[in-house]
Formats: sequence, C-alpha cells, structure tokens
Amino acid sequence: MKYAQKMLEEVGIEGDRLKMYNIGASDAPLFAQAANEMTERAREFGPNPLKKGKR
Amino acid sequence: MTDTYEPKVIAFCCHYCTYSAADLAGSMRLEYSPNIRVVKLMCTGKVDVPLLLRAFEDGADAAFVGG
Amino acid sequence: MIVGERKPFAEITELIKDSKKVLILGCGTCVSVCMAGGMKEVSILASQLRMDSGIQDKGMEFGEDTIQRQCDREYIEPIIELAKSHDVVVSMACGAGVQLLSDMLVPTPVLPAVNTSFIGICEEEGTWLERCRGCGNCLLGETGGICPVARCAKNLFNGPCGGSVNGICEVSPNTPCAWQLVYDRLKALDKLETLEEIQPIRDWSPSSNGIPRGVFREDMAGIGKESESASE
Repeated sequence: MKYAQKMLEEVGIEGDRLKMYNIGASDAPLFAQAANEMTERAREFGPNPLKKGKR
Repeated sequence: MTDTYEPKVIAFCCHYCTYSAADLAGSMRLEYSPNIRVVKLMCTGKVDVPLLLRAFEDGADAAFVGG
Repeated sequence: MIVGERKPFAEITELIKDSKKVLILGCGTCVSVCMAGGMKEVSILASQLRMDSGIQDKGMEFGEDTIQRQCDREYIEPIIELAKSHDVVVSMACGAGVQLLSDMLVPTPVLPAVNTSFIGICEEEGTWLERCRGCGNCLLGETGGICPVARCAKNLFNGPCGGSVNGICEVSPNTPCAWQLVYDRLKALDKLETLEEIQPIRDWSPSSNGIPRGVFREDMAGIGKESESASE
C-alpha cells in the first residue's frame, strides 16, 4: 500500500487518495464510513490531475 | 468545471468480507456516499500495485481497498 | 542472484524525455526475484509513465514486455522486431542485460531503469544483502560458508581485526563481523581446527583488476556449429 502511494506521489498524484480499510463482513457502518471518508478526501484533493483536459 | 465535479471513488472489495459489508449496509438502509464504484474481488489478495495504479490511470479520484 | 533497485522516477523520465514511443522491457530472472525489474515492475513503471505523460500532455506511447533473460541472445532475438518499432527501449534488467540488449538493438537506443547493486540474497522481506563479489577464487570451503571477501570490510583471511566488538564490525554498526560469523559457524560444524591453518597470501589474479574477465571453455567452443554441420 505504501509502495503504491509512493508510486502515485512520484507522478504527482496524492498518495492519500488511496487507503486500505479492514472491513469485516458484518461491519456495514464501517463500509459506509469508508465510502464517505474517501469521497470527502477526493473532494478535498479535487479531480484526478489526469482528467484535466478531458472534461 | 469545479462545480460539476463529482468524485469517482473505486472500492476494491473482498467478496467475503467488505462486499458482504456493503451488501449489509444496503439491507440496513445505511446512507453512504453514492460516488463509490465497487469492484468485487474474490479476495483482497488479488490486489497488487499495478491494479491500484490502473484505477488512477483510468481516472479514479480516490480508491480504497476493503478486506 | 543479481540484486538491483529501480531508478528514481524523475531520472527515468529525464532519460526518455526526447522519445515518443517507448518500450519498457523487463527481465524475468534475477531482477524479477528481487522485485526491481520483472513483469510486475514493468507494469508499474508503464502505468506511472502513462499517468505522467497524461498529466503533462506529453503524448507518449508505452509498450510493455518482459523476456526470460536479457543476458542471453536467444531470448532477445524474438523481440528484436518489436523493440525496433519503438524510438527507445527502457531496460529493467541488470547492467549485463542492458549491454547485451543494446548491442543487439543498434540503432535503437537502450536506457537503464534499474541500478544494479550486487550479487546477494534476500535476507527477509524487503532486505537484500550482498554475499558474493565474484572474486574468481572461492574459499568458502575454508571459512564455513561465510565469505571474507564480500562480508569483511578489510578482506581479512586469517581471523578478525581488532575492531570486531561483540560480533559487530567496526566499519558499520549494522553489519556483523564476518570473522565472528566464521568462528561461530566452524564451531557449530565442529571444525574449529580449520582456523589454525594459516591462509597463504592470496592470488588475486582471477579477481577483477579493471579489465573485463571472461570464462573460455575449449571443449564447448564451436559446439553449436558442429551440430549444425552434422545434421546437414
């Protein structure tokens, strides 16, 4: 995971756009939290720099 | 442009744990962000660095692995 | 195996900055095992380069391939056409692989994406250590399988120097004293008496003296040609 984050940083994509969660089968609230958290992060960082010209 | 920005978040989910959790979240009527795109894997052991990079290469704004 | 480490991303992009169509070629032997330049690393580097090119609008194209070994002609031959259809080839093999590839692909330039470190082993996940320096005159039989050439900073052949403290080398606090290891090993093998034999002054002539070395076997020379003419 750390390595993948480093690889992203190297090309200028924030490594924190990527995260690992440990979610058990009965852990629905954690799944919902993960989903919200990552969406929030993505909003903070703004669009993936790769998509700039494509919109 | 920014006002139309809706992030795309890829969720790599293990069939046996996180995917079930996602399923359960639905049954429990939990509300969570609709920006999630679930990719079901038979096991999170399938996840490797190229797969994660590929998600971003194909335009994901964020991604997480649940296992 | 030969242990290597991938070059920093910025160095690789700098090397290929004037090219449009780049082939990234991995090597399926040593550098695959030490996770520096195998199929997976090729796919990571290619992915990174595609993203970089996309972000900065470089409009570059990247091909990916991995062959079994870049230090053997027969493995390179099948990909010569493919390689030549690119502006430049980025090799993820060791220095030997890069050089043979570069010989065989003229006029297509070959650039290295991996720094070749040493001949060594994987100690544990994420740690690779040097074990052999290719000195051409192996004495592991006398030292219980621990090499004083590669593992003793002073290359001593008759016991430790005065700097060996509690089994640690004085040159590097993270390195065990090779002669302490030799002693412990010979003790475990019940062969401590080996240490009483004085190693004579060593013949370093088979070791590298700056001129590239070669191994030449008369019994094998021309064998390929002989069998060809016999089958005719």
